[in-house]
Amino acid sequence: MNNYILSKKLKTNELSTFYSFLFGLLIAFFIGSIILFLQSNNPLEVFSLMIKLSVGSLNSLSNSLNKAIPLILAGLGISIINSVKLWNIGAEGQIFMGAIALNLVYINVTIGNSNLFIFILLISGFLGGSFCILLPALAKTLFGVNEIITTLLTNYIVFGLTIYLVNGVWKDPNSLNFPAAAYIDKSVYLPIVTSKLSSGFLICILFTFIAYYLKEKSVFGYELRIAGGSELTALYAGIKSKQVAFIAMLIGGGFAGLAGAIELLSQTHRVSTGLSQGFGYTAIIVAAITGMRPIGIFLVGILFGALTIGGSVIQTIGVSSYLAEIIQASTLFGALIIQFFFNYEIKKVEND
Amino acid sequence: MYEIYSMNKYLLQVNNISKKFGNVQALNKVNFSLEEGVVYGLLGENGAGKSTLMNILSGIYMPDSGSIKIKDNLIKKLSPEIASNNGIGMVHQEFRLIESFTIKENLILSKSNKFQNNFEQTYKKYSEIFALNLKSSKYIFELSVGEKQKVEIMKLLFNNSSIMLLDEPTAVLTPQETQQLKISLETLSKSEKKTIVLITHKLKEIREFTEKIYILKNGNMVAENINTNETKDIELIQLMMGEFNRREIKKDNIKGKAKLEVKEVSLYSNQNLEILNNISLEIKSGEILGVAGVSGNGQVELANVICGLVKNYKGSIVISNKDVSKKGVKTRKKLKLSYIPENRLGIGLAPGVSVLDNSAIKEYSKARYGPHLSSKKLNTYLINLIKQFAIKAPNAKAEISTLSGGNMQKLLMGRELISNPDVIVASQPTRGLDFNAVEAIHELLVEKRNQGSSIMLFSEDLDELFKLSDRIIVMFEGAIIKEFSLEEFSIDKLGLAMAGINE
Repeated sequence: MNNYILSKKLKTNELSTFYSFLFGLLIAFFIGSIILFLQSNNPLEVFSLMIKLSVGSLNSLSNSLNKAIPLILAGLGISIINSVKLWNIGAEGQIFMGAIALNLVYINVTIGNSNLFIFILLISGFLGGSFCILLPALAKTLFGVNEIITTLLTNYIVFGLTIYLVNGVWKDPNSLNFPAAAYIDKSVYLPIVTSKLSSGFLICILFTFIAYYLKEKSVFGYELRIAGGSELTALYAGIKSKQVAFIAMLIGGGFAGLAGAIELLSQTHRVSTGLSQGFGYTAIIVAAITGMRPIGIFLVGILFGALTIGGSVIQTIGVSSYLAEIIQASTLFGALIIQFFFNYEIKKVEND
Repeated sequence: MYEIYSMNKYLLQVNNISKKFGNVQALNKVNFSLEEGVVYGLLGENGAGKSTLMNILSGIYMPDSGSIKIKDNLIKKLSPEIASNNGIGMVHQEFRLIESFTIKENLILSKSNKFQNNFEQTYKKYSEIFALNLKSSKYIFELSVGEKQKVEIMKLLFNNSSIMLLDEPTAVLTPQETQQLKISLETLSKSEKKTIVLITHKLKEIREFTEKIYILKNGNMVAENINTNETKDIELIQLMMGEFNRREIKKDNIKGKAKLEVKEVSLYSNQNLEILNNISLEIKSGEILGVAGVSGNGQVELANVICGLVKNYKGSIVISNKDVSKKGVKTRKKLKLSYIPENRLGIGLAPGVSVLDNSAIKEYSKARYGPHLSSKKLNTYLINLIKQFAIKAPNAKAEISTLSGGNMQKLLMGRELISNPDVIVASQPTRGLDFNAVEAIHELLVEKRNQGSSIMLFSEDLDELFKLSDRIIVMFEGAIIKEFSLEEFSIDKLGLAMAGINE
């Protein structure tokens, strides 16, 4: 009798993540095509329209890049935390918390120099994100509570807090009863680089390199990798694994908080429940698809940003914007399946 | 015609059982027969095949060949269920009780439980035999280790097992509890006619508990059904350990000052059990101290205490005249202590992490500039390691477990030894490796000794200990039970000491 077993391949291609991403994208567009076809749309037409309206002009490209900012920053945060093999599902909440912290500082502090004020507001956003993950990080470090659950749950808490604030103390009397906080002053808007492109994108590039450096080139990143591989090895190596994991969580949460701050300063200009449209969740897909590589997150983040913009414009011809989300999710799904075949092989064993 | 069977005096008859795992012959034509109402001892070193035999009897493994008869019935295929229905039950070293259930719920859980209707009566009878003064409504998590074990053995009785296999039952017990267990088992075998097989390493217990003995050695049954009180300790040891090859390597060497001193170290577990008992030793420069002992007698813990991985101990550790008792791993590293842990992948090396990262675990602070880690320095270091210790690795970025066991160990040894450490603590450095890798590692250790390192070598391979050590200590139940100088080495005395007998 023969049995078949799965065994891990000894040698894996270094580019396997990239190839599986391409395959995943292919599968996703295939699935998208089937759905469009079933709705009696011409897939080619829809996709070419999507491409045209998301990257076809400087204007639309700027829109796409702006959309990519929160995906990239939150994705980088997730990847830093994943260096120590922990999962941050709470980027969505951290984005909101970043914006809330920013607004709190904005309301209570006045600084004449607007550039300095913007800088301080960005820092508040970062710290807000860190604060948001503080409780899960403490629970993990002190009691070993599963961070996936706690970071997920903080999303609901922060969303509840947002609803409370924009319907209560922060509610803008001029908003025609729409639940939102007051707009911030134009003087603290993030400056535009060109066309519609926000300077937040430059911050995004800077932080991509910071994340890359932290993960790949610093002592801290090294200690995270060892602690992530085995806590006992970390103990053996004299690395304080709990301490480095705790710091990594705060930094990662801060990245997502910064995303919320930039979104507020450059796009929505006020706190509302619509500040983030699931960026924190899409960022998980972005980070996972790239195998947690910062440069990959930057590139895939731009692609997903463009997809989102493309998805919203095809509504004009009567196709649901959910098409973009279907493509994003099935890219991950397809990539994970293909990645599996890169990493494992099916072997025949003789039963003895 | 009816075939007439002679009434067989054996309850269980195992004939010519063989079992192979890959290239390893775990059991080779083994016979094992048990009579009713007798307490047996099953002896053998680690890896002799005891667990394989027990797992075959409890239906977990299928033997490659051979036959099993229970009460004259030839059992074609033994499964855990059939084994249990035929009255074979086993108590494993790790208990299989459901912690959130009560004693009663655990006892009546099994399908083959025979005492559902008169539970209280039966429970009362057996708790008296075991001196277990607990209500059956108590939860398992409220029980001490000794009490849990009693419930575990009772589970077999509630399943109506006639053959009870107990895998090192005394390992988790205090001396008083061990005495109590002895009395309980005696009662069970005499008044309940239970057949009991006790797996143990301790000669004293073999003497006190058992009537007959089986001994396994490298998958062969080297003693079948011999009477305990007609056999001398020394004979048992010789059967268990067999011949040994003394392979001399050059031993003369100048010994210097003590570089490692351990002073009155004691350690207690969370359950307040004694793990290390007042251990004192010192190792001079240029000396290899071998540490023998059956696994689980405190060796791993002693190594971890010396190397700073375990902190809450009593006593002191001195490295090159500096007391490091209150200090951690990093201080010990600075004083040039190297540790080759028993657990290669998981402690010495981090799984899921690259070869490059793993190679730097000891020395990465030397490639550090503030927050920056120089990848150039790390790479140079790895290339040097690979060259010097002939390590075969696919590439620096490859995951560590893509290396073979031998190459992993070479990487680990190389990383720990390349900087000429003053003190080396090596735990089972050659376990599971092929001949060439073993030779290479032995040469390496001797070379470091000749260069003046103080080496502590924990090993279960006695050939290795005899070949490399200048002195051997034997650990038993957390204490040093015996010390041998080079001239006094003898397999018999060592074997007796390992089994807990200090003459």
